[in-house]
Amino acid sequence: MALLEAEHVKAYYLVREGYVKAVDGVSLSVERGVILGLAGESGCGKSTLMNALMMNIRPPLRLLSGSIILDNRRISDMQRDKIRKEVWGVLVSLVPQSALNALMPTKKIIDFVKDVFRHHSGLSEFDIASLAKKRFEELNLPTEALSLYPHELSGGMRQRVVIAISTLLNPKLLIVDEPTSALDVSTQKQVLKLLVELRRAKIIESMIFVTHDLAVLRQIADVIAIMYAGKIVEYSSTDNILFKPKHPYTYGLVNAVLTPEPEVRRREVTPIAGEPPNLLSPPSGCRFHPRCPFTIPICREVEPPLIDSEDGWKVACHLVTSERIR
Amino acid sequence: MIPSLIRDLFKIKKLDISIAIFVAITLAGIIGPILYPVDPTTIVGPAEHRPSTRYPLGTDSWGRDLLAQLLHGIRNSLGVGITAASIALAIGVTVGVVSGFKSGLIDSFLMLITEIILILPSILLMILIAAYLKERSPFLVSLVIGVTSWPWVARAVRSQILSLKTREFIDMSRMAGLSDLRIMFEDLIPNMASYIFMAFVLLMSGAMIAEAGLSMIGLGVTRGVSLGIILYWAQLLEAVRRGLWWWFIPPGACLVLLATSLLLLSTALDEYFSPRLRGG
Amino acid sequence: MDNVSFKVKEGEFISLVGESGSGKTTTSRMILRLLKPTSGSIKFQGRDIWSLKDIKDLRWYWKNVHGIFQDPFASYNPLYKVDRIIYQVFTLLGDVDADKSSLVKEALKEVGLKPEEVLGRYPHELSGGQRQRIMIARCYLLKPKLILADEPVSMIDASTRVGILKLFSNLRDNYGTSVIFITHDLGLAYYVSDRILVMYKGSIVEEGTPENIMENPRHPYTRRLREDVPLLYRRWSDF
Repeated sequence: MALLEAEHVKAYYLVREGYVKAVDGVSLSVERGVILGLAGESGCGKSTLMNALMMNIRPPLRLLSGSIILDNRRISDMQRDKIRKEVWGVLVSLVPQSALNALMPTKKIIDFVKDVFRHHSGLSEFDIASLAKKRFEELNLPTEALSLYPHELSGGMRQRVVIAISTLLNPKLLIVDEPTSALDVSTQKQVLKLLVELRRAKIIESMIFVTHDLAVLRQIADVIAIMYAGKIVEYSSTDNILFKPKHPYTYGLVNAVLTPEPEVRRREVTPIAGEPPNLLSPPSGCRFHPRCPFTIPICREVEPPLIDSEDGWKVACHLVTSERIR
Repeated sequence: MIPSLIRDLFKIKKLDISIAIFVAITLAGIIGPILYPVDPTTIVGPAEHRPSTRYPLGTDSWGRDLLAQLLHGIRNSLGVGITAASIALAIGVTVGVVSGFKSGLIDSFLMLITEIILILPSILLMILIAAYLKERSPFLVSLVIGVTSWPWVARAVRSQILSLKTREFIDMSRMAGLSDLRIMFEDLIPNMASYIFMAFVLLMSGAMIAEAGLSMIGLGVTRGVSLGIILYWAQLLEAVRRGLWWWFIPPGACLVLLATSLLLLSTALDEYFSPRLRGG
Repeated sequence: MDNVSFKVKEGEFISLVGESGSGKTTTSRMILRLLKPTSGSIKFQGRDIWSLKDIKDLRWYWKNVHGIFQDPFASYNPLYKVDRIIYQVFTLLGDVDADKSSLVKEALKEVGLKPEEVLGRYPHELSGGQRQRIMIARCYLLKPKLILADEPVSMIDASTRVGILKLFSNLRDNYGTSVIFITHDLGLAYYVSDRILVMYKGSIVEEGTPENIMENPRHPYTRRLREDVPLLYRRWSDF
């Protein structure tokens, strides 16, 4: 059984003008021991999806429908209090994009740790502190950092510290949302090394890595899911997605990647025309059809379902489904 | 932009009240004397008469109609308030913008002048200048007040400019070859419009009180009536001690209401503009 | 910034690559004559730019050397419509024969925008990509000899970046404009430049063609950069 099994999740934001359909019928599964990369551009709904998957839902966000089963528990049916006590930090942890802002500037790191886990697991303050210290040593992080203030740490160190603290109670699933976007490449590599180490040391089982940077996913992800306008449009192994993409959007996204490699320079790099749609009133049929160079009539009318194209390879595209050859 | 501004402003409650009060009193000052065409300085009846149907606010020690005085007084006090505020605003904004944008020697020089005037007690300055002038027209009084109350505006405007001029759109205008003057007028000042408006409201409030203060020590306008002048006469003839409440309470109340409503307005505006400015 | 020297030839496309704090933004502001260097000189076509004082000379300079910044929103005065940012530069062009509005429309089309869709709008009504393209259209109007682009695409979505990058190459290919492209992203620099200059802590530590930089980096910082950049066709060996 997969570690996380989400089916037909719909999470909308209720605003004055109506519903912003940020996550509109997403089904996703994360197998045990796997690093899943969730790729998409800004505004596609990936951060909302992460919040929905761990049931961190507060108005104006609403979970309209869908079931989320994490480690064989149906968390989509649980009350918020129970989730806070038994799920967050214990089964799943989310390191949000603004993680660095989550640290209180007036508290030392160790005090922050104590605050976070105080209400949690029935561990005493002393236990938490020694757990933190041991974990830092295990991950090759300087234990001195615990007695410092956030501003005394570099950006990269802060990020690693936040990741280490989030996984203190060994959650099965770690979700990281754009953890390295603001970092320079060397610091980024350090953070990525830490994340991979977490899995190797069995501190976590699986991870969802949200980003727009496909080159990073090449280096650490096992499988990739591509998200566009509130829906998953393709899902397969990293190599498949990056080198043999089937969905036109995936193809466009991969084609726009610019790494300092001769293969990229030789390639005709083409941008995707147009802009991502407004999620208050998305296009009819396939949401990508206004920007897609391969539309067939049905694309304007009917939404393509995310179905198996080959063994385990899921694509949501009428052309792919009808051709079955690509 | 303006209509939506007015619509949004009315959503803030304290704004409704403050605007209502201010507008009510102002209208009284503008239309009042037309609807009630009694001369405030001629003797119309018995001295120190209590309020009655003939004399709605009674009469003063010379038998002059106090309602007429009040209505004319509001008009003149507002007039001085607006004029003084405009003068102070003009000087303060000019000094602040030039100082902040040009920096260097000009900045140091202008700030020195600002500091000097800031340090000198404005009341003293006003008294000295006013006492020196034999004939004090409303304009002169406004000038005296205006010329002594602009420093804080200059300072505040300068710091706004200092932060605005680092914004990239200023660089873009520079690179487009626009002269400094054009950049100041087209790019900087419009972006401070909300601030300038608030400064005006505050200046006006302060100016009216300053005028009243000057008047109460006999240094107000030499001819005509203002709220401060009414209070001056009332105080001269010991109206408080003698219980002639109809003489000093109406002008005092109007003055306080005018000044307070303007202050409330400025805080409401601050509330309205700040989140907008942050939102960008 | 510490002792930085380099030359740019006509029609050349160079990139200054460095992380934040490397001094690249300071360099760009100095070249654009917005910030005065403490020592040293900047010469354009043989003339020291700080010797230009008269507004006519300054306008000549900016007609020939122009800049584009990173934040597509901050570059606009939010109180005016976007038209202003393009029409402003007619001050630099002096008397123009053709009708101004048709020149503006031409420039907008060259950067891939439909004039009807962007003219008459306020900055907040347009997307980051559109705003940035309008900035580039401003350069197309001027056809300067040198453009300085300071992180022009870092706040733009990855899939639209390439389109905007190409606009710079087109300026070079069609009008012989030299480009100084400032970025922290080695991949971008590699794709478009003739020459890459690597900046580290206020100095230039290495210079070379994109191939040289990636295949034979000599400075330890460049080497580290090459090791740590995530690639598509190669996997990190030490992972």
